[in-house]
Amino acid sequence: MAVSEDQVRLAVPATPEYLRLARVTATGLASRLGFTFDEVEDLRLAIDELCFALIGTKGRAGTVQLKYLIHPGALEVEGIGAFSDRPEAGAVTVSELSERILDALVDEHEVRPDGDQPTFRLLKRHIGP
Amino acid sequence: MAFSPEERAELRKKFAAFAESRDAKLRDQLIEAHLGLAEYLARRFGNRGEPLDDLVQVASVGLLKAVDRFDPGREVEFSTYATHTIVGELKRHFRDKGWAVRAPRRMQELYLRLGKIISTLSQDLGRSPTIAEMATAAQVSEEEVLEALEAGQAYRFASLDSPSPGGDDDGDSMGSQLGELDSELIDAEHRAHLSPLIARLPDREQAIIFLRFYDGLTQSEIAARLGISQMHVSRLLARSLALLRQIGAPDLEAQPPE
Repeated sequence: MAVSEDQVRLAVPATPEYLRLARVTATGLASRLGFTFDEVEDLRLAIDELCFALIGTKGRAGTVQLKYLIHPGALEVEGIGAFSDRPEAGAVTVSELSERILDALVDEHEVRPDGDQPTFRLLKRHIGP
Repeated sequence: MAFSPEERAELRKKFAAFAESRDAKLRDQLIEAHLGLAEYLARRFGNRGEPLDDLVQVASVGLLKAVDRFDPGREVEFSTYATHTIVGELKRHFRDKGWAVRAPRRMQELYLRLGKIISTLSQDLGRSPTIAEMATAAQVSEEEVLEALEAGQAYRFASLDSPSPGGDDDGDSMGSQLGELDSELIDAEHRAHLSPLIARLPDREQAIIFLRFYDGLTQSEIAARLGISQMHVSRLLARSLALLRQIGAPDLEAQPPE
């Protein structure tokens, strides 16, 4: 996905309750692209799955910066964590199960949960009408 | 919630006796006698995006604490004391869950309406409807549709301790008839391929996870297959994933590296 039309940026505190904004933004943009209910629901689950991979189940001190890239017929979301605390032990392991879940939900996904700047990326295409 | 004067006197005696003996049987009787109060208060907190079953559970915990802590020597009726404790428990429950549960009632209603709209549109169109189509059918904006969908999933942060609601809380008559079917959906051979974490979910949730993530069915297809609404599939999936995250997190350290 080289050329992107528009993009939206959002930075939220890295705690579970703010992930709602990450989801609502994603579904709002997906809706503009004509995504179906099924696709929107998949996208929502995928955003959760990836964000939680960054922040762990309890959240972190710091922010998650989200970048939404609007492509023709597809939405790409990138997330970058900027944290000031140490990760919850074991929290950033991306399990085999999580991989499988994301495979089913989105067209492309990757997570680099470790290091100073953990990141994720997903791409969800709109198929259908 | 009204007791007759005789019942009231009887309860007072039991509370006095319980204060002395801490007898478990008495405790059960006292709790049982006031379950109606717990349920009544739970209902008062309904329509905030939480299944009533869960709220009754929370209220019952409050009742339990009230029975254990009540001092019959004080000049206060148990029901007054318990109401305070139970409401406190319910409030804390909502507070702990953050803003996600404070969905306005209008959104809850729209969410319920959308459930039916999705089913109707899917049948008419032969595919999953777009958000725009749902908005037109519901005569609201796309933003409102999305907001309602989000609001309807307030259980996302539900704790592991909350029971999986047996009945359905979104108005459709579904779910309960599944029972038997569920275990047949995933045979032993398939089960072997599932992550052991999934085995810790209720059968129906296991089936849905299997169909979506292992069989690759869409949410709509799963809904048709199981005879439940798409919205319900969506709710169950989201909740299952949230549960899997919670179950999975503490265990990760113990797992051998992949």
